Amino acid sequence: MTTAAGRPVAVHQFLPALNPHDATGTHTLKLRDVLRAAGWRSDIFAEAVHEDLAAEAYKHWAYPEHAADGDVAVYQFTTSSAVAPFLAEQGLPLILDFHNFTSPELFAGWEPGNVTRAALAADDLALLAPEAILGLARSAYSEQTLRHAGCRRTTVTPALADYARVTANPDPRVAAELRERRAADGGADILFVGRVVPSKAQHELVKALWTYRRLYDPVARLHLVGGTSSYAYSKALYDYVEDLGLASAVRLTGEVSDAALAAYYEQADVFLSLSVHEGFGVPLVEAMTAGLPIVARGAGAGAVTQTVRDAALVLESGDPAYVAAALHRVCTDDVLRRTLADNGRHRAAELQGEKVGHEFVEAIAGVVGRP
Amino acid sequence: MSDAEHTGTGTGDAAAEDPAAYVQQVMAEIAEEVRLRRASGDLPPRLERELDELFLAHSPIGVRGGDLSEALRLVDAATFIDPVVPVESERAAGAAVKKGMRTMLLWYVGWVTHQMSQSASAVSRALHIVDDHLKELERRIEAQRVPDAPIVEFPTSVAPGAWWVEPALAALAKAPGRVLHAACGDGWLVRRIVDSGVDAYGIDPRAPVVDAAELGAVDLRDEHVTEHLRAVAAAGLGGVVLSATVEGMAGGERTHLLAAIGTRLAPGGTLVIHSVGRGTWEAADAPYGADLAPGRPLRPETWCRLLEDSGYSATAQPGPDGSDFLVTAVRSGLTPYEQREPGIR
Repeated sequence: MTTAAGRPVAVHQFLPALNPHDATGTHTLKLRDVLRAAGWRSDIFAEAVHEDLAAEAYKHWAYPEHAADGDVAVYQFTTSSAVAPFLAEQGLPLILDFHNFTSPELFAGWEPGNVTRAALAADDLALLAPEAILGLARSAYSEQTLRHAGCRRTTVTPALADYARVTANPDPRVAAELRERRAADGGADILFVGRVVPSKAQHELVKALWTYRRLYDPVARLHLVGGTSSYAYSKALYDYVEDLGLASAVRLTGEVSDAALAAYYEQADVFLSLSVHEGFGVPLVEAMTAGLPIVARGAGAGAVTQTVRDAALVLESGDPAYVAAALHRVCTDDVLRRTLADNGRHRAAELQGEKVGHEFVEAIAGVVGRP
Repeated sequence: MSDAEHTGTGTGDAAAEDPAAYVQQVMAEIAEEVRLRRASGDLPPRLERELDELFLAHSPIGVRGGDLSEALRLVDAATFIDPVVPVESERAAGAAVKKGMRTMLLWYVGWVTHQMSQSASAVSRALHIVDDHLKELERRIEAQRVPDAPIVEFPTSVAPGAWWVEPALAALAKAPGRVLHAACGDGWLVRRIVDSGVDAYGIDPRAPVVDAAELGAVDLRDEHVTEHLRAVAAAGLGGVVLSATVEGMAGGERTHLLAAIGTRLAPGGTLVIHSVGRGTWEAADAPYGADLAPGRPLRPETWCRLLEDSGYSATAQPGPDGSDFLVTAVRSGLTPYEQREPGIR
């Protein structure tokens, strides 16, 4: 399909915020490259653009200056944004690229602002989903949400992510520090990567660590890698760690560089997730890519089981007794570690590579025609 | 990492031949390990609750269910905004520089903070008025409050030899997670469930009954079911058994209980309800608690309808003499609320 002027149809992307080192930002930039390589014109329009990426995107309100016949909009749906009503007004053929969003009740009592934002995101979804010509979901779990919101045509496509960053060039300083601590004290290194927010349930990880140390490994350590968008939850977590006497065993790193992240994946013994909401779970795929065995809560955790499949010990709940027993088994059973790591690498390979970009091209071409 | 304990060649062969079966075997061994740990007393029943309570103590009032008065004390304490900033400094001249800046800016900062303090005071006053009105409403409502239903046990129908125990165990055999028995008494049914190979624990608001129970291999806690469910993670239970619990419940309490179970029960989880019929409830020899309860037993057909409307697939089984019945219900993947509100998960 081309426009009257003979140019290929443009498939532009819109999103709330384009940030570097962010799963949605990486996905958007990679999808832009995939779309251009397939022959579509494609630019990015965002409500907020990080200064490091200023050359990569326009403000969404500047879109009319770039508009042309035959334009198609792909909306990277992550949270509530002024972009949603803006797109509804434009009347463009709309494709929802749905990353899911944390439901309001998971912030209730913690962050009133986030509760409001999440509730507005539900409103945005209700506004756009019935109008979308296609919904692209990161998981079957998210696809179900899209369908319930009124999206008539949907398909599942994994996130376009830079998983190589978790194996390439681990920061030698961070890696050495982790190695030396283990050499001196012994004990397992447990890792979780994700924002410090109530829905990721880092306090349950701390509870599990306390139980694991009591029952199996008194010097085990927990590394919580990720920034926060909930000061109240972070403070409660710090205080909880202090009260349990785990200040020297739990490290909250904040945001880290790609190299430091790679060092954590390289040095950890097990990746533990007790999150109660994952629309896809990029860190789970990172852990699988790094060959790290995973223990994860499955029931009530969104897409976790769909993402990891057979590459994790999937628990029905965050019951610390079960989590501790599972951690112990993973850390002491070489056969199990190998099995989970092999399954993980295989599963991770299914979720990345050129074929994922091809899936996006095929899905989009299926509704707007080939460029 | 600890020394490897499971590295035998036979184990490796089994894993290589059928990795999925090996992981399944590991999960079963983990469940057995947890059971043994609990039986050994390594994980006392109160421990997990204490860990939860400790975290809640650090949580905002809204998360831990604190009252408005407590919140208002925090608001009052934060109402005054002090424009006189501290000037201490680690550097010799730092304090003098800061003090000079404070003096120069105080007319400006003081004007802004005065308005902010006034605004905060006005909000605080308004909240106190709301608090006073709420207290008055609470006082009036308390006078008309419907009491929570007591545990009413009919000795012949809630006992180890009761006809419904085997069907209940069969229904729970494939529960996808831990099973909770509410009003567990001395834990007789919890033991039976555990003996059948399913992880289970019990709660009962009658503290003396729980204290007198021999814990042995079972995990029993003295808690009310609704309060307990608040502390359970979403989809954290594979099964729930309600016996001697629901017969005397009024509509509101029953609705709240079912809503709480609906979110705590994992998809595919099983809800088992044992209830006496109305004839038994109103018989002359019924326990006195039946007279004091605010509600009366529902009919089995009503339970089935109620549960199916709540997203379960339910069946009822009458007892041999018609005095009681058993309802077993399996939760579907999505609750009706989730089906109606697809964005809310």
